[in-house]
Formats: sequence, C-alpha cells, structure tokens
Amino acid sequence: MNTAPLVETTDLSFQFGERPVLHGLGLAVPAGSIYGFLGPNGAGKSTTLRLLLGLLRPGGGTVRLFGHELARHRVALLSRVGALIENPSLYDHLTGHENVEATRRLRGLAPARTAAVLAQVGLSAAAHRPVKGYSLGMKQRLGLALALLPDPDLLILDEPTNGLDPAGISDLRALLRQLREEHGKTILLSSHLIGEVEKVATHVGVIQQGRLAFQGSLAELQARQQTRAELVLETACAATCRGLLAELRTATVAAPGTLRVPFQSREHTAALAQALVAAGQPVFSLHCEQPTLEDTFLHLTETASN
Amino acid sequence: MNPTVSTANLTLPAVPGPFVQLGRSLAADALKLRRTAALWLTLASGVLPVLLNFCIFYFKGHLLLKPGVDGWAKYASMSWQTAAVLLPLFVVLLTSLVVGVENKAEGWKHLFALPVGRLPVWLSKLLIILGLNALAQVLFVGLLLAAGHLLATLRPELHLQQFAPPVHLLGRLLGRTYLATLGIVGVQYVLGKWQSGFVLPVAAGMAGWVAGLTLLRWEHVGWIPYAGPMLTLLTTPFKPVPGMAMPTVAPHEWYQLLWFGTATVLGYAVLRWRNLA
Repeated sequence: MNTAPLVETTDLSFQFGERPVLHGLGLAVPAGSIYGFLGPNGAGKSTTLRLLLGLLRPGGGTVRLFGHELARHRVALLSRVGALIENPSLYDHLTGHENVEATRRLRGLAPARTAAVLAQVGLSAAAHRPVKGYSLGMKQRLGLALALLPDPDLLILDEPTNGLDPAGISDLRALLRQLREEHGKTILLSSHLIGEVEKVATHVGVIQQGRLAFQGSLAELQARQQTRAELVLETACAATCRGLLAELRTATVAAPGTLRVPFQSREHTAALAQALVAAGQPVFSLHCEQPTLEDTFLHLTETASN
Repeated sequence: MNPTVSTANLTLPAVPGPFVQLGRSLAADALKLRRTAALWLTLASGVLPVLLNFCIFYFKGHLLLKPGVDGWAKYASMSWQTAAVLLPLFVVLLTSLVVGVENKAEGWKHLFALPVGRLPVWLSKLLIILGLNALAQVLFVGLLLAAGHLLATLRPELHLQQFAPPVHLLGRLLGRTYLATLGIVGVQYVLGKWQSGFVLPVAAGMAGWVAGLTLLRWEHVGWIPYAGPMLTLLTTPFKPVPGMAMPTVAPHEWYQLLWFGTATVLGYAVLRWRNLA
C-alpha cells in the first residue's frame, strides 16, 4: 500500500498583487481520505484549491498530485480530478443534461456517463429542464454531477453544501462516505463549518490567515480537544478556594462562586475535591466540561491569528 | 471497508493530442450555442439586409432602375452597402455574445480545471466565432441571390431576368469582406475575454464602428478594423469602371489580418501566463 499523500503542497505561497494570501503552506492529503479543509472566510481555502487545480500560479513552492508536479503535468493530472469550485459554472440556457453533456464531450468520456452522474445526484427527473429554472440546491447538485463525471480518483469540493437543504446535505455526506469506502476515492472538501466536516472527514486541515494552524487526523483533533477540558467547581467563595490550595493557582474565577480548573485526570479531580472539603470549603458541584470541536477550531484559528 | 490505495494510483495518464483536445472543445462549444442569442443573431443578420432591399426593390424598384440598366448590379450593390454598414456591428455583437456565454456562466474556471490545454479552449471559441461569422455572410449572399431571382419572377417589369446575376463578383466580394472582418473578430475576442461584462466590449466596438464610418476619407482609415467591410465594398466596382480593377487582397485587408493575428496571439499569451480565476 502506498502511503504517499495524494495531494501535497510544499512551501506553497501566493499573493494577490501586494497582498499575501498564503504563506509556506504544506498540505498533505492522504490517499483514500476525506480531508476537511477548514478555515474562516478569507483564510485562503478557495485560493489553495484554485492553486491545486492550476487556475492560479503559485508565487512560490510546489503542488504535487498523485506524486507528480502539477506545473509539469497539468492536463494529464486533471483527467483524474473532479472539482467544484465555489458556485458551479452552469449555462442557464441549457438543460441539466446538456450542461453535463458539454463537459462530457470536453473530457472525451463515454456518453453513458451523463445519465449515470445525473442519477447519482438525483437529478434524472429534472435533467431535461433548463437550468435557469433550477433551485440553488439543484444547481449545487448539478455542479457535483460535473465533478463526478470522470469518476475521478480525487474530488476537490469547495463549500459543497452551499445552498443544499438538510436532506441534501445528508445525502451528500452519504455519497462522499460511499465514494471513499466503496470506491477508494480521495476527497478534499473545504468548509468554514467544523460541524459539517466532523461528520464525514477522516482528516482535517485548519487554515488561518494563509497558514496551516493544524493538520492531522480527526482523532488527533479530537485528542487536542480533550486536552482543553476544564473542571467547573461551584463553591461558596471562588477567590478563597484559589488562595487556599497551590493546585488552584492556575484556576480562573469565572463567577464569585465558580472556579474553572484545567482538567488533568479523574484522580486529580477526586484529590482536589477531597482537599477542598478538608480545608473547610463547601463543594456544591464539580463537573468536567469539554469544549466542542467548534471551540477547538475557533481556538486554533484565534491562536493562529494572534 | 477500508479503502486501499495502490501504487497504480500514482500512474500518470496519457494526454490526448492537441487536435483531439480541440475537437472535444469544439464539440462542447457547439452544444453551448443551442438557444443562444448568438445563433439567432447569425441567422437574422444574414436575412435582414436582403429583406430590406428586397422590399425596397419590390415596392420602389421601378424608380431606382433606369431602362436598360443592369438591375442585378444595382440590387446587389445596394444590398451589400446595407450589409457593409451593419457588418462590423454584427461582428462586435456576435463576438461578445459567444464569449458572454462563458462569462455569464463563470465557465472559464470550470473549463481550465478540466484536462484540456488552454490553447484548444482559446482556439475553439475563436473557431466558433469565425464559423458563425462565415455562416452569416454566406447566408447573406445565398439569400441575396435567391431574393434577386424571386424579384425577377414577381416583378418582371424590373427586367432583372435580362441580366446574369454577378455570382463571380459576389463570390470574390464575399471572400474579401470576410477577410475584412477578421481584425474586428480578433480585437473583440480579446476584449470580450478580459472584460467579463458585456457592456464595455460592445461599447468599445460601437465606438470603433462609428469611428470607421466617420473617418472613411482619412488616408489611414485602413488601419481601423471596423472600417474594413465598407472599404472592401468601396474598392469593388459592381460595374466596369475604367482604370479600376478589383484587387485580390486590398491593403486594408492585410491590415485586418495583422490585427487578427496580433490580437489573438497576444490574447493567448496573456491567457497562457496569467492567473485565471
């Protein structure tokens, strides 16, 4: 089994005029993964994806797809890539079928692929209606059909759930999982919503202000989330408690009767409760609060921007 | 089931040849023409000058033609005059409409993320425009001849049937006029590609059209692409004129070729090297 990343950027940088957008980005998308590329709006996600497709020329660094340099083999490499960048590019005066057909002809694929991908995204019934009458969600699904047309080994999707209703989002997730699990596809999808990505991704990259703030498996991100867990202690006087015990000096007084302490272990929690009671302080309640993945994501992006 | 990734995944696929890529681009671009204003404009533009002049000769022909004068020459030259005035405007609109199909759909980013070179994409649209331009002009000449024969049948008192239609002259004029529109195609294609809106390229084209017509007497008017079709007509005698022969290719038509070549090559060079989205 080959473990080389299917998508790899080395020291990738880019600037729009004088404004730097990406700084030494080192993206590594493992083969067979669903890689959630996360970041707030304007962090550089779409720019990165455009660089991966050769739509933009890097200011520095390299892009490698399938182990080959994109700058040297763009046309060959793109035949194995399907992409949906921001709003799908659709011809309003043509039907859904004709839109897919135009791309099929350009790619030189078998005619049967057109009907197959329209069925895959649930647009067979509306295939012969003009696209100008499509809803936003239908247009997004048609864009996805265009990306799926070549049965690509690598699927690059920029904010693919834009305009989809909850059922459409759920269907998309199921489709992405199926593509990865049953067909071994690699999927790189960008989003600014961690909640959307965590339900489907196996790997995550977090970008902030053009720099990677985190990259790894979803499990690694979740582990990082656990290290930021806190004990919430309800007592009579939080400030007195903090002054009494040495291990509480790092605690935060959240309210006159509330202390927040970094969580260390279950044993440490028990010892802390025992020490407070021994020191004559009442413990009304003691529980562990774990930040959500969204909190961790926000923490990562805030840390990077600081 | 865990996906497995074999080393075969890293194999570089074969790239189709440039002509295959161009053929595929043309097939896709031809499909995109369905139900477009560009296609309707092409058909209507061939019909309009002929229809206008047919009506003029049908209703007022007896006032325009003196007895014994070759009615075909008068009818063909008047029709061509209308066409030569309108042709630059037609080419401006046609080019903007064809490029506008892609601009409106934000289709360029989609096209350039597909496994096809930039040159085939660039050439394909250009060939579509050139093809539609040729179709409109051939249609015009065909309809002009057909309408002339119809006039001869419906209005025998105009005596068109006594003269031969100037097929050879119209054929040569058609070739030269087509050549004389190439500069406009080149300039407007580049403008249309790099100005994503419809208004600016059309406004620039209309300004060129007005300039071409206004400056017809200027000694350097041949360098204005938009004056090309009218200059070609002015250098074509419909009746024998002593000392005036129809040139195979007039100087202003060479300038048109120069405009066309320069604009399309520069346009491609920019496309080749600049960021696309």
